[in-house]
Amino acid sequence: MTDRQSKPGSIVPTDAAPLRTLTAVMAVMCFLAMLSVGAMLLINRAVAQWASGLASEVTVQLPQLSSRDMDQDLATLTELLAEVDGVKGVTILDRKEGEKLLAPWIGEDGLDALPIPRLIRVVVDDKHQPDFAAMEVQLQAAVPTARLDTHRKWEAELRRMASTLTMISSVVLALISLSAVAMVIFAARAVLEANRNVVEVLHIAGADDDFIANQINRRFVAAGFWSGLIGLTGGVAMFLALGYWDIGENSGVASAARGLFYLPQEGDWRSLAWFLVVPIAATSIALVTSRMALKRMLGEAQ
Amino acid sequence: MLQLDAVGLRYGNGPEVLRDVSVRLEAGEFAFLTGASGAGKTSLLRLLFLALRPTRGRLELFGEDVMSLHRKALPKLRRRIGVVFQDFRLLDHLSTFDNVALPLRILGQKPEAYKRDVKDILQWVGLGDKLEALPPVLSGGEKQRAAIARAVISKPDILLADEPTGNVDPALAKRLLHLFSELNRQGTTVLLATHDESLIAQSNATIWHLEQGKLQVS
Repeated sequence: MTDRQSKPGSIVPTDAAPLRTLTAVMAVMCFLAMLSVGAMLLINRAVAQWASGLASEVTVQLPQLSSRDMDQDLATLTELLAEVDGVKGVTILDRKEGEKLLAPWIGEDGLDALPIPRLIRVVVDDKHQPDFAAMEVQLQAAVPTARLDTHRKWEAELRRMASTLTMISSVVLALISLSAVAMVIFAARAVLEANRNVVEVLHIAGADDDFIANQINRRFVAAGFWSGLIGLTGGVAMFLALGYWDIGENSGVASAARGLFYLPQEGDWRSLAWFLVVPIAATSIALVTSRMALKRMLGEAQ
Repeated sequence: MLQLDAVGLRYGNGPEVLRDVSVRLEAGEFAFLTGASGAGKTSLLRLLFLALRPTRGRLELFGEDVMSLHRKALPKLRRRIGVVFQDFRLLDHLSTFDNVALPLRILGQKPEAYKRDVKDILQWVGLGDKLEALPPVLSGGEKQRAAIARAVISKPDILLADEPTGNVDPALAKRLLHLFSELNRQGTTVLLATHDESLIAQSNATIWHLEQGKLQVS
């Protein structure tokens, strides 16, 4: 017995042109899906980082007023803050540090003449945060000009931006999936049309729709799998290339892309599993859609 | 095994190509279906291998009323029918071996289970040396024999053949008739459509004669 007889020939011709086109188009779609998933991960990771920094720190501002003794007020507030439940550390930022924070916006010249407010950095316990409303009342009772900035407004803005961008990415992914479904249906019709003779012979020989759909379905699964793999490889290569692009400079895109693969934070490797969703989704779409479409079309054909 | 009662068939809104066909084929019988070109032989065969349904009348196959059967029940009946097409309908991308094995693959058999049977039947029809040949390189007679081998490999209850000797020389036609008779002796019911009078004369089988859509049995 020859090998060919041990391994029977494929009932549907293997060189079906519509499937090659489908693989190519779906590979491009998977690549776009990878970019969308990557962007979503980067945004969420950046926002989580910023938000966690904001949540673990609050600032007390003390404006320069000639009527107040700044050193006395700072000492009072420091002493008071240190005793608040949930406060882990209190640091008075000196005037130079305050100037450094302003320099990027208004330049370094003339900062000496400005009445820059003094800042107290208060590190709070993430898990057992102090009662900020009560803290502010306490602070203002001791020093009426003190202002407490809990950064909540910024954190809310960041989270809103992240959820909007995540939603946009999700819509893009949904549109890509819909296009893939349409492509698979189109290709299934083309494959059936190209193999009308084979399908007719199979029907007359007693094959049911499931048997015929299985013969063709395998090709679609292979097309989906390979396109997913090509898209995944292309997407990962794209992010790695972006990371290398201008590694010497402090480019935001490059450093973000680098962060995705080179500098993952603790537990972040798990989020990269989202990329695997792309080939899995491509294979599943090819499998389910082609099967449903083929069975429907085979039913119509009889 | 097979019974038609007042069966009529028309394509779309066209005229009836088969009219009031009533006939019966018993298990183990051998019959010829004759008639001039265009008399409706192929249409009648298409009805019998369930590629079409009658537009009127009653068609009973293996005790089942075909008219009332759901589409999903048809494959099971079709597996009991072997068909030899006038134009062979071999799949050009498959080897002769794989073409003949097709009905067994549809039945879910594995290559290990069917390889011996396929080789034996190809040997029997004289194609033992053409296992790997693709249909485009086979001669008309070889294709015909491969098509016959495919039709009988799954040991169908009934064999329907449409002009099986139409593309072969008289000597091969005689050999093919012998082959069909042999199958019939082994228990397969055979209905052979032909307008080859000399072939019919070599046998004393029942003759179904179709003329302008009307059937007469002699």
